[in-house]
Amino acid sequence: MEWLSALTFSGMEWYWAFALLLGMIMFMMALGVPVAFAFLTTNIVGWIGFNGFNLDAILQVVENSTVLITRFTLAPVPMFIMMGSLFFHTGLAIRVFDGLDALFGRLPGRLCFLTVAGGSIFSTLTGSSMANTAMLGSLMVPEMQRRGYNRQMSMGPILGTGGLAMIIPPSALGVLLASVASIAVGRLLIAGLLPGFTLAALYAGMIGLQLWMNPGSAPPYDVAPTSTGQKLKLVMTNILPMGFVVFMVIGFIIFGWATPTEAAAIGVLGVMILAAAFRVLTRRAIVTSVDSTVRVAAMVFFILMNSTVFSQLLAFSGASAGMLEWATSFEVNRLIVLLVMFGVLLMLGMFMDATSMMLITVPIFFPLANQLGFDLVWFGLFVLITIEMAGTTPPFGLLLYVMMGVAPKGTTLFQVAKAAFPFLICDTILILILVAFPELALWLPSLM
Amino acid sequence: MQVIARAYDWLINTMRVLAGVVIFAVFILIVSDVLIRLAGLQPWIYSTIIVEYSLLWFAMLAAPYLTRIKGHVFIDAVTAMLSVRLRWYVEKLAYIICITASVVFAWYSWDLLIEAITDGLIDVRAEEIPLWYLLAPMPCCFVLVTVEFLRYLLGFDTMYGDRTDVRDNV
Repeated sequence: MEWLSALTFSGMEWYWAFALLLGMIMFMMALGVPVAFAFLTTNIVGWIGFNGFNLDAILQVVENSTVLITRFTLAPVPMFIMMGSLFFHTGLAIRVFDGLDALFGRLPGRLCFLTVAGGSIFSTLTGSSMANTAMLGSLMVPEMQRRGYNRQMSMGPILGTGGLAMIIPPSALGVLLASVASIAVGRLLIAGLLPGFTLAALYAGMIGLQLWMNPGSAPPYDVAPTSTGQKLKLVMTNILPMGFVVFMVIGFIIFGWATPTEAAAIGVLGVMILAAAFRVLTRRAIVTSVDSTVRVAAMVFFILMNSTVFSQLLAFSGASAGMLEWATSFEVNRLIVLLVMFGVLLMLGMFMDATSMMLITVPIFFPLANQLGFDLVWFGLFVLITIEMAGTTPPFGLLLYVMMGVAPKGTTLFQVAKAAFPFLICDTILILILVAFPELALWLPSLM
Repeated sequence: MQVIARAYDWLINTMRVLAGVVIFAVFILIVSDVLIRLAGLQPWIYSTIIVEYSLLWFAMLAAPYLTRIKGHVFIDAVTAMLSVRLRWYVEKLAYIICITASVVFAWYSWDLLIEAITDGLIDVRAEEIPLWYLLAPMPCCFVLVTVEFLRYLLGFDTMYGDRTDVRDNV
């Protein structure tokens, strides 16, 4: 068994450990091994290797994975997913759209603006980018195509707005990030509110610019006139009641009636009460929503279970500390480091889903950001926006695939990515605004 | 053989339903806790622990079903560029890696479960809970996940289908 001890990784320089562990994950992901199992295999090999080829180290992997996943702060993740699912499966989402539809009149590019307005409201009610993109895509793309909108205009605003759910509270991914990075969930969620609506405004501006440059891309069409009274009635019946759900989530946190963790479940209750009031709460809607929650949340949790142990492995191997020491040893402006992290996240997002890239980078980026003196809530928001951008970069941006799933047959990945590009510019502008004026994100949390 | 296959399918599906029940119960439990507290009463001390444990149980119960429906997220951007023949080999290699990891995890979680029962190990949280409550679903889950990957390896199905079915998971 002499040769076995030669396989031990103990005493390895941090950069070799870092390259070995990340290399293993990347290699297995490239082979098509499911992300959760790529983490799981690396954990097993890594823990054995860094423990002097002691097989009992696997017991530690098993035990740690059970401990790290069973944290109360993770409970909002399935709750927000359930809330979004219920919102869609009960048909409440369609009601919001009907209400907004009447408000826009004969505005050129009205369906694009409708997408941004509807998407912003959905974001405050769902917390899931995938759900948002799928909902907006399946609802708006066929209608836009029918009205003669070109692909650029019919898919771009949806891809941009779909991602808003990642930063406008409640955000399921925001909760996950806060929990994994050990930052206050409530503060991170509230921090996304103003930047989220600023981003929506930037999107609207970008649509206006695109229309000005190419008016034929979204031709105007006649709509049945709606009286002011009818508009008011639609707003009162279809849009304002949704404020009840927002209150159930945000209000309960602000008034201190529920912790941010508990508020997610209260949000589910809010959607149920609202659906019951509109007489659309059916057994079928509940069952379908719970089933969707099982599919999405269990997938996330299975990855989480293994990725958190991977974070520990990075620390145990000395890779995290070595990387941190190395990265902070340079006499460079911290904004350059921020730019590098931005580039790494975007690059990872080209072939990795949001949850995986977040879980890989958190144990490396957050200690680094802390060391460099960035406010971690601000940095958390920066990471979320970048991940949102990465979700729309080819070839793996998950939102691109969601869009392809709901777009007309024959739509290529390139067409979808091209449509998303102008909205990536808006995201970049928002990041620049946040760098220049961090108060945009930090003012609301400072009131808590 | 058909009876065994049907019983097995029933088991996977029942576990999926149980995962749904568990997560819905978590919702009920958290809401009840908040409402009880708002009413000025003392919430049940075990509710937080049950929610925490449920998160693991829920993920474990759903894992074999997720493997069956190709619900575990993976990256096919690289393999899509390979020739059909090479992709076949890479696909099999990926299944073998998943099977090996699952078997190792099933084996060691079983080991830990037996140790937790025989030595009376305790999980110390807000209250002290026998550790085996937490570990109980793991060996079974990973055995079933192994079987699912074996199905793929033996060619009964392929995990690398059309990516656009992600919409169904929303």
